[in-house]
Amino acid sequence: MTANLATREAGWVRSVLLAVGLGFLFFFLGLPLLAVFVEALAQGLPVYVDALKEPETRSAIVLTIVIALAVLPFNIAFGVAAAWAIAKFDFRGKSLLITLIDLPFAVSPVVAGLVFILLFGAQGTFGPWLAAHEIRIIFAVPGMIIATLFITFPFIARELIPLMQAQGKEEEEAAVSLGASGWQMFWRVTLPNIKWGLLYGVILSNARAMGEFGAVSVVSGHIRGETNTLPLHVEILYNEYNAIGAFAAASILALLALVTLVAKTVVEWNMKKETEMLNTVLAPEKIS
Amino acid sequence: MPAKNHRVLPGFGLALGYTLVYLSLLILLPLGGMVLKASELGFGQIIDIALSERSLAAFRVTFGASLLAAALNAFFGLIVAWILVRYSFPGKRFVDALVDLPFALPTAVAGITLSTLYAGNGWLGRYLEPLGVKIAYTPNGIVVALIFVTLPFVVRTLQPVIEDIESDVEEAAASLGASRWQTFSRVIFPAIAPALLTGFAMAFSRAVGEYGSVIFIAGNLPLISEITPLLIISKLEQYDVLGATALAVVMLAISFVLLLAINFLQWWSANRYKNDEPLEAAAGRAAGAPA
Amino acid sequence: MSIEIRNISKRFGNFVALDNINLAIPTGELVALLGPSGCGKTTLLRIIAGMESPEQGEVLFSGSEATHLHVRERNVGFVFQHYALFRHMTVFENVAFGLRVKPRQERPKEAEIKRRVMALLGLVQLDWLAERYPSQLSGGQRQRIALARALAVEPKVLLLDEPFGALDTKVRKELRRWLRRLHDEMHISSVFVTHDQEEALEVADRVVVMNHGKIEQIGSPDEVYSNPASPFVYQFLGNVNVFHSRVHGGYAEVERAAASEKTTAFVRPHDIDIAHQPLAEGLQATVLHVHPIGPLVRVELQHNGEFIEVELSRERHEALQLTVGQAVWFRPRQVRVFGADQLPQATPEKQAFLF
Repeated sequence: MTANLATREAGWVRSVLLAVGLGFLFFFLGLPLLAVFVEALAQGLPVYVDALKEPETRSAIVLTIVIALAVLPFNIAFGVAAAWAIAKFDFRGKSLLITLIDLPFAVSPVVAGLVFILLFGAQGTFGPWLAAHEIRIIFAVPGMIIATLFITFPFIARELIPLMQAQGKEEEEAAVSLGASGWQMFWRVTLPNIKWGLLYGVILSNARAMGEFGAVSVVSGHIRGETNTLPLHVEILYNEYNAIGAFAAASILALLALVTLVAKTVVEWNMKKETEMLNTVLAPEKIS
Repeated sequence: MPAKNHRVLPGFGLALGYTLVYLSLLILLPLGGMVLKASELGFGQIIDIALSERSLAAFRVTFGASLLAAALNAFFGLIVAWILVRYSFPGKRFVDALVDLPFALPTAVAGITLSTLYAGNGWLGRYLEPLGVKIAYTPNGIVVALIFVTLPFVVRTLQPVIEDIESDVEEAAASLGASRWQTFSRVIFPAIAPALLTGFAMAFSRAVGEYGSVIFIAGNLPLISEITPLLIISKLEQYDVLGATALAVVMLAISFVLLLAINFLQWWSANRYKNDEPLEAAAGRAAGAPA
Repeated sequence: MSIEIRNISKRFGNFVALDNINLAIPTGELVALLGPSGCGKTTLLRIIAGMESPEQGEVLFSGSEATHLHVRERNVGFVFQHYALFRHMTVFENVAFGLRVKPRQERPKEAEIKRRVMALLGLVQLDWLAERYPSQLSGGQRQRIALARALAVEPKVLLLDEPFGALDTKVRKELRRWLRRLHDEMHISSVFVTHDQEEALEVADRVVVMNHGKIEQIGSPDEVYSNPASPFVYQFLGNVNVFHSRVHGGYAEVERAAASEKTTAFVRPHDIDIAHQPLAEGLQATVLHVHPIGPLVRVELQHNGEFIEVELSRERHEALQLTVGQAVWFRPRQVRVFGADQLPQATPEKQAFLF
């Protein structure tokens, strides 16, 4: 926005605000980000590469990706279904439902992990039954996937609900009035309209799925090479005073975070373009 | 809605049904199970566990540090949001994107990095410790970690609200003789206060539950720098499942209250000035006034 | 295809949107649903389309029951108020949509789709925009594309929700005439919703005036304008001077047999004569304002604290040479009187006012 004389602070005030704001961001965001890479490369590139080649680090990377991929389809299906019901229809208890979807944002990850121990752990509600059938959920990959699901399921729905509400239902109604079936309407009209929002939600939920620590830590059992995701592996290496190894693993996650930020910015940019387009489509011309 | 009302758009039953089943299995069943488990203890025992010396100290540390971190973020977040919306400076888009880093960076990475930075021999610690300021392995470290983790909340809630302020209200204030500071404190601040409060509440709520980033920098000394989520985990590791559950239920109740408070704040900030508008429209419709 | 509406009612919560509506639309007619916002006209249109379902009553298409038929099966063309064009599809794909989503055995071949879409775009005179996206079009162009899209599925009924509501005055006038011509060519039963009386009177074969979920009057544009069935219709269609009887308001009284009855008299501004000399059965007044507005001159008169609006042609005004403050005589040429029950009453034989 362009500020004119009436809406502008004095020069020194601007300087102070800029210095304080940017200084704060530098010390609390810039410096830590920089430190990850500096610490990882503290003893040179070869040592860094060796640290990454450790079989345990590699298996942690693989497990992180496996969990993220396993969670994704569930989150997409839930996000689209919940947003469709909430944004396009009216029903009783809608705001309660939205609050429920927000819940994982407020619940401590540790609590999120604990509830599944109480459910599936050895002493848990379903524990004896699972043990009898030799199904391992806690201290195994399925438990980690479930805990990650709990933490990440709201992300896509939270992106899609406001987007689909803003888009309204006229286009879908038009499609149906032209004879489209439910699937035709969804694939040809709804999905193209929400694709950027969906992608945005996928990026956010994926970043969280790959980076989740607390909830996964509680249910993982920390079995090296088996139930170690990359964030958990960072902890183990750090606690063993293997700083290079810990920061090497951390640098991968930091790179992932940077990729996430870039992807997010690109998608945001596209969404903004789309919204502007939407506004020009929907904005009625001024009646003179 | 009458029962025979058919809906034009398809898929309502399927979508809502799937949503409800999914939520029940993933959220309601586990949380309900936990509450049920806690009920084995009875209300009195839960209170006893929550009010034991160690738990009480952990709550004090958790809430104290969270409150301080959220307050600092509210102050600095307001400045950051303001300069990001109102000022132009080189690298602004980069800085704007960087604000989301704490959402993207895994908390464990943040934890080890911050504790390395603020340790006695770290980049920052080596200058701070001679001044008598110890950050790493003290409750101060918890505050630093929580500031990092919850930094985006205030900035991101304030940005759109500051963007929405019409410049003409500021011009009006200036034309009526208000100084810039008077304009800010009497015109702008009241307009953004609900969003600031919402951002603060979100940051606080997230900080209370935070675990990953804190444990690396806190030192984790019982009674001094042990946070409640960590206490839950140590109880669990000592096979004190009921004790862990009791604390978890208390945390869950607090989360619920905070979530409702945030929802109320958002509803309030969206609706507080809109009250008469829908009424007027409704009245106009009821009166059938020609458009 | 003819449409029949029988005893349709619909409420949203406590708000009665439609209250026992009955309406028959013969094949090929162009009907306007006219009324203020919130009068239920859009709800009625959406019920005809099958996008809303009535609480009671029936919709009949060509005499057969269609109340519970899904939109998809009704074969109606619906043009949305804000067009609802698919924003990620080109103009061509928008128009082709209805053909492409047909079941495989009914779906035309690609060449046939292309031919039909281009023919429709030719019909709406926008074939040169086929590859554009909706966001690149002007409002009037979007409106015509929305119409072409609705026509592509060869509907038996065309339903338009405020088709010109979001356009500026000039485009609106052009599109009105164009829609009328199009309707005359296609001869398809059409219903459109509008709150603009001029639009309804100019375009429609028949006008349905609605208020508070009820139909006030059904008739040809001329009928509803010159012979309004209720005070509401009178006031909604054009400017009007309202005179209350002495018993009611103490301002004016129409000279009639039972003068003590509560009645209201309506006089259109252009139905009033002004003269410099005393008129038989006329009244005296002072000229308050004179506003030339295009071809008309609007004169405001004051009589005993009452304001009377008069519209004169330019020629008449030039002949009169009215100036502010002048004392003149005026007399209504035509008065319509409604009783307290809002029903029209016999127009008095002597058309005169007594104040």
